[in-house]
Amino acid sequence: MFQTGVSVSPVILAVNNLFKRYGDLVAVDRVSFSVHCQEIFGILGPNGAGKTSTLEMIETLRPIDAGTVILDGLDVSSHPRQVQQRIGVQLQSASFFEKLNLKELLLLLGELYGRVVDPLELLSEVDLQDRAKAQVEQLSGGQQQRFSIAASLVNDPLLVFLDEPTTGLDPQARRHLWGVIRRIRSEGKTVVLTTHYMEEAEELCDRVAIMDRGRIVADAPPRTLIGDLLASGFKKERVERLANLEDVFLHLTGHALQED
Amino acid sequence: MRLRWKLTVASLKMFTRQKEAIVWTMLLPLFMVFLFGFVSFEGLGRIQLGVAGAENEPAARLVGRLGEVRTVQVTRGAESAELEQLKAGKRHLVLVLPEGFDPAGKQELRVLVNDGTPEETQMGLLILRKLLDDATFGMQSAPDRIPLAIQSVASRRSSYIDFLLPGVLSLAIMQSGIFGVAFGFVSLRKRGVLRRLSVTPMRPQDFIAAQVTMRLMVLLAQIVVLVGVGILFFDLQFMGRLLDLFAMGLLGGAVFLAIGFFLAGIAKTEDQVVPLANVVSLPMMLLSGVFFSRTNLPEPVRVVTEFFPLTYLADGMRSIVLEGSTLPALGLQLAGLGVWSIVSVWLAVRVFRWE
Repeated sequence: MFQTGVSVSPVILAVNNLFKRYGDLVAVDRVSFSVHCQEIFGILGPNGAGKTSTLEMIETLRPIDAGTVILDGLDVSSHPRQVQQRIGVQLQSASFFEKLNLKELLLLLGELYGRVVDPLELLSEVDLQDRAKAQVEQLSGGQQQRFSIAASLVNDPLLVFLDEPTTGLDPQARRHLWGVIRRIRSEGKTVVLTTHYMEEAEELCDRVAIMDRGRIVADAPPRTLIGDLLASGFKKERVERLANLEDVFLHLTGHALQED
Repeated sequence: MRLRWKLTVASLKMFTRQKEAIVWTMLLPLFMVFLFGFVSFEGLGRIQLGVAGAENEPAARLVGRLGEVRTVQVTRGAESAELEQLKAGKRHLVLVLPEGFDPAGKQELRVLVNDGTPEETQMGLLILRKLLDDATFGMQSAPDRIPLAIQSVASRRSSYIDFLLPGVLSLAIMQSGIFGVAFGFVSLRKRGVLRRLSVTPMRPQDFIAAQVTMRLMVLLAQIVVLVGVGILFFDLQFMGRLLDLFAMGLLGGAVFLAIGFFLAGIAKTEDQVVPLANVVSLPMMLLSGVFFSRTNLPEPVRVVTEFFPLTYLADGMRSIVLEGSTLPALGLQLAGLGVWSIVSVWLAVRVFRWE
């Protein structure tokens, strides 16, 4: 891993005092954080903590009530089009046009950015090269998530946002997706993702921000957060077993990459 | 421009790969034509009698008596004009009265008859004969009858299919405009497709332009298919030009697409769209003279339906198909649809929302 390099690589995304209110409810309460180039940055938190609202403001999907977001040197609220050219977005409950196959969808999405893409290359990036002629509704859950990641890469973005990419997937499909995400980072892109699986954050993310009730309550690499907690004298009531049921499941059904 | 074109091509692909869409836009209208075309609703209507020539007092008396016969509708006009109407299939027979017409004079009366409608013509001649006999019977010196010189004129045989097909075509244009756009857009919004598009730099107007272009291309295909099937299988007498039909269809299509976008703006879910679209389209489907002539409607209803967009479209399309009218002759229909398109686009722009 690359964790010591975090501090030296330049900042690509700087969020400063971001604020969002829906009626009486303050959804995002003066949130600040920054993300460095080639990081996998995780935003954790329970449902309703404000993760999705935060992401949507950064992604130009929702107007910013107060605060600033600077992405690759551009202010998101004043330069939404330029920002859209630089980011790839996977949304939680969005879908694609029906009746077009994966190849056609990627070509069309590329056109929206004024680009002619190579759909097969994008599909092989997410291990879907042999489903080029399939339609999204014919794919399994894990394949749909991988396709939606491929779709977020059509504009060769600097920064990719993934909103709960592994929710609802079985362990193999989840691990497969982790591999895909690491591959994207190794190609020089930065990844920001939300999740509520702690072991996923620990395994995958270089750094995590934990959100609760619209605020960020912690922001550090997972190891540091765990170390700090232990240093404060925290002790689990039961000692963690060296393996858990998920390890058993994976051991029995095969760690190897399976077509899910 | 390239993007709009690519979006249009993609929308056409999506449209043509949807079996329901083909059924709704092409097969259902064809089915209506088949169904109504084989069940003949023609029967014996009123006999259309034109009267030309002398306008003296005995002539007026004869026309008055003819007018009292319930099954006869009398129209007065110049001989040339009435002959035109006869040829166009709008008169069953035309009676030409000589100058100085006088029943007592036993002058020969010319009767021009429509050779395409033997039943009505025969019936009309019988009625005419009877009335003329009645008019001379009371006169002392009237042992012989007024001679009638019957002259057959090659006329258009106007069948129900000629009336029906342009109406069904207009109906199909309305249905695919209103239902296609309203249902399609709400579904794209509901499924999050529009949301996914809004994180790309695509401008909403590019997408809407592509949707409108695609729908108008489908509309032109509907015109070609329905008119083509009508000519090939139903002996449709297509008098007009396809280009006029295209122009009228596109203007009507614009109105109904805008109504579709308006409904997509006010409906939140797919479940709300269908009843809304029915509220708008059903009265027009039944009262705009698609299947039956509006002349039989009660007067107040008829006056109101005069202003329906589907009435303007169906009347315009029918006039092009039946009478070979060209656009300059259809000022009323074009103006009506023009006003409707301004109103409906204004409404659509006011309520339309992407998300």
